Amino acid sequence: MANRDSSSQGAGALSPPDPWDPLVRASHWLIAGAVIANGLINKPGGTIHIWIGWAVLGLLALRFVWGLFGPAEARFTAFLPDPRAAVSHLLALVRSKPKEYPSHNPAAAIMVYALWGCLVAVTATGLVMTGARSPVTIAEEKAAVAAGDWSVLVNADNHDGGAEMTGFREAAEEVHEVAANLMLVLALIHVAGVVVESRSLRRNLIRPMVFGRVRNK
Amino acid sequence: MKFANFPLQPGRRQTAALAAFMLLQTVAAVFFVGDAFSDLFDEPASPHSVFEAFIAFVLISGIFLVGWQLRITLERMRDQERALETARGDLSRIIETQFSEWGLTPAECDVGLLALKGLDLAEIARLRGAAQGTVRAQLTRIYAKANVSGRHQFAAWFVEDLLDDGIAVREPA
Repeated sequence: MANRDSSSQGAGALSPPDPWDPLVRASHWLIAGAVIANGLINKPGGTIHIWIGWAVLGLLALRFVWGLFGPAEARFTAFLPDPRAAVSHLLALVRSKPKEYPSHNPAAAIMVYALWGCLVAVTATGLVMTGARSPVTIAEEKAAVAAGDWSVLVNADNHDGGAEMTGFREAAEEVHEVAANLMLVLALIHVAGVVVESRSLRRNLIRPMVFGRVRNK
Repeated sequence: MKFANFPLQPGRRQTAALAAFMLLQTVAAVFFVGDAFSDLFDEPASPHSVFEAFIAFVLISGIFLVGWQLRITLERMRDQERALETARGDLSRIIETQFSEWGLTPAECDVGLLALKGLDLAEIARLRGAAQGTVRAQLTRIYAKANVSGRHQFAAWFVEDLLDDGIAVREPA
């Protein structure tokens, strides 16, 4: 055992880690798809937008629980934020001599937390904007209004609590938009980072995120 | 060679299915809890709310169970892979040592290894770019040095120790 551990640490380049379990992979691509759909494609505030937002809420919650109880590489403890290490990793990347890490590299770890922060901000403010009514309720209300029963709207307004709430909701809307745009920019930087890192490590970093562990022995 | 990518395949499909199911279940739970939340909040003691709370509890514990199962499976796969690697290394070391104890020449070692892997005479000859007669002669010398009657006993020599002595000889009743 000890023999194996030292060999896997010493010769990272010989056996590159393939750390992404199926849950990490699936939640990654689903959230990526959701961000693209809600940020760029569908109508903001529309029914589909809200459905997707709620689904993201679930995916995010699951990923956070997995970050506490999942396998070692998926756990937060494997990639705690460490700005100093992140900077030195970026410098190493410029000198095109980056190290291999068992999980996210330190710079990528910062990116992960930044993206998660944006996702939490966007979904939380989204909930505030819709009064935390579930997509099912909203769909029912819309159906009722379409059928000519406007009383649901009065109920919804009463439920929300008046003028004080409106100001709060406008602030939430502001945060929602800023965080969403910030997230799209960060996602672009993330993709660029993967490309640069792949080049300088001379191996495809996208492949393990799609297929998981691929051993070509 | 044939079984180079064998060990991971079955487990991978299983873990992917578990993960997919877990994601679906979580999204379903979020929608359900989101929808039931106002009921729970407004009248927590009504039969309707109690029932919804029960369903939510079952759904969410289901997610944790699947997650637990997924983690166990992932860990088991990793352990097996590690054990397999160790075993591979150990077996080839044992074979090497034994070959040198028998005093096989390097060429005989190669031929012996290929024979142990189950290749037949023609294949070994093709791989080594040698005539079949040469390979046959080498094999004969290997068997003589190892003091075995032929290929079956030669292969059994290494397998024997891996098997427990629990093979019950069935007596006719």
